[in-house]
Amino acid sequence: MSIPAKVLIVDDEAHIRKYTGLLLRSLGVPVILEAVNGQEGFEMFQREQPDLVLMDVNMPVLDGLEALKLIRALDPDAVVVMLTSLATRQIIDDAAGHGATYYLRKDTPRDEILAQLKQIFADTFESDDEPHAAP
Amino acid sequence: MSVADAVTLPPFNPAGAKILVVDDDRVNVRILRGILQTAGYVIAEAATGEEALAQCADFQPELVLLDVVLPGIDGFATCRELFKRHGKATPPVIFITAKNATDDIVEGLDAGGVDYVPKPFRQNEVLARIRTHLQMRRLVAGQRALVEQLSRANEAKNKFLGMEAHDLRNPLASIRGLAEFMRDGVVGELTPDQLDLVNTMYQASQSMLDLVNDLLDVATIESGELRLTLAPTALVELIEKAVALSAMESNRKQTSVLFAAPAARVGMTLPLDAAKMRQVLDNLLSNAVKYSPPGSTVTVELRAGGGQCEFSVKDQGPGIPDSERDKLFKDFGRLSAKPTGGEKSTGLGLAICRKIVEAHGGTIVAENLPDGGCEFRVTLPCSPAL
Repeated sequence: MSIPAKVLIVDDEAHIRKYTGLLLRSLGVPVILEAVNGQEGFEMFQREQPDLVLMDVNMPVLDGLEALKLIRALDPDAVVVMLTSLATRQIIDDAAGHGATYYLRKDTPRDEILAQLKQIFADTFESDDEPHAAP
Repeated sequence: MSVADAVTLPPFNPAGAKILVVDDDRVNVRILRGILQTAGYVIAEAATGEEALAQCADFQPELVLLDVVLPGIDGFATCRELFKRHGKATPPVIFITAKNATDDIVEGLDAGGVDYVPKPFRQNEVLARIRTHLQMRRLVAGQRALVEQLSRANEAKNKFLGMEAHDLRNPLASIRGLAEFMRDGVVGELTPDQLDLVNTMYQASQSMLDLVNDLLDVATIESGELRLTLAPTALVELIEKAVALSAMESNRKQTSVLFAAPAARVGMTLPLDAAKMRQVLDNLLSNAVKYSPPGSTVTVELRAGGGQCEFSVKDQGPGIPDSERDKLFKDFGRLSAKPTGGEKSTGLGLAICRKIVEAHGGTIVAENLPDGGCEFRVTLPCSPAL
């Protein structure tokens, strides 16, 4: 399985950043960055160019959908996964409309969310990995 | 203010209540005016039906005394016209009539009148009837205001409940996940005692998360936001999936869940919200396993006929004590029976089941079985179109 080298977590809640960080670490992600709102997240995205962004929706200063729009405008190929608490149809549609690559529900049981993250990594980074896989 | 306080009316005070007196007989009007003004009422007069209609709009009386025989349109027609114009806001109409033959009284009441006073007047009778109807009108208005106030308060409560439950979810999910990482030794090997504590944290956060999710369901349903997405669904398959999922828990307790799918499946594809109905099935099955002694058998049955489809879940648990029957499908209606394998219960599951089943136009009932245990039966209407 292919693993992104650098992942940015954008969430205003410390426990979510900590827990999500552990999820990523347990999957073998080597570099994990954290930002506490959309504004900080966008700035860090520009500076650090992560392979993948995990983005909360409701945040102070700049919310996740606005930050997603800024990132999309800058890099149409950026992989942005929205972290939602309650995946209402409206939120999912909004996120998709603004170019989110995937969405994850924060209250998904750990083993399930790990499987979903693995699947996202596989879908997103498989092609990059193939040359390395060749002997 | 408590509800009981709100329904107790203050003593009736007629002072200032406005009454419109409609009569073409000047003498009658003068007598009535005398009686009513002495009692503290404010009076306006009209001599014809047309005048009464105009006065009703201007003067806004709380009650109308209406003569039957009038020049122009008569009292009955005037009354019907009042209701046409003012609808539910029409003040109570009491007919004044010398014609107290039963037919006339009936026609007057049919036209929307609430009562009648026979001529010649007896002062006490007139006052008593007026007082009764004014009181009733105020009572009804008070009740309506109270119901509105309560339903607004209930809405606010549901909204609050939903918001709080929503806000509690993420931290709980984090606690649960972090505990799992600790349990798995991600941050270092744990001693057996530490492991025990971490497992307790994990289990406590898991059951709180279940409770919060149930609360959110209740809040959603209560606020009228339970929207069903109906699609033709094969009930047999839905039950088979639910039974398969229940296997994990039932195996742990060596309880068997038996479902013999009926051979004939005619009439068993219904318009259902599959996810919601699955929630009902999961709940009934997990309850049956939860309250049955280890090693027992849970039986699921499905049958169709008479435009209905019915499934039932039978367990071998303690049954439902008669004294607790009425609590069964209510919010937090936890009964005295305890889970037999240390499982948790939020006390909301069956209330949610009932609401989902009823939203489908169906019914859910529970019955004790003669040989012990109980049976939960869900009956759903089949749509003829499917």
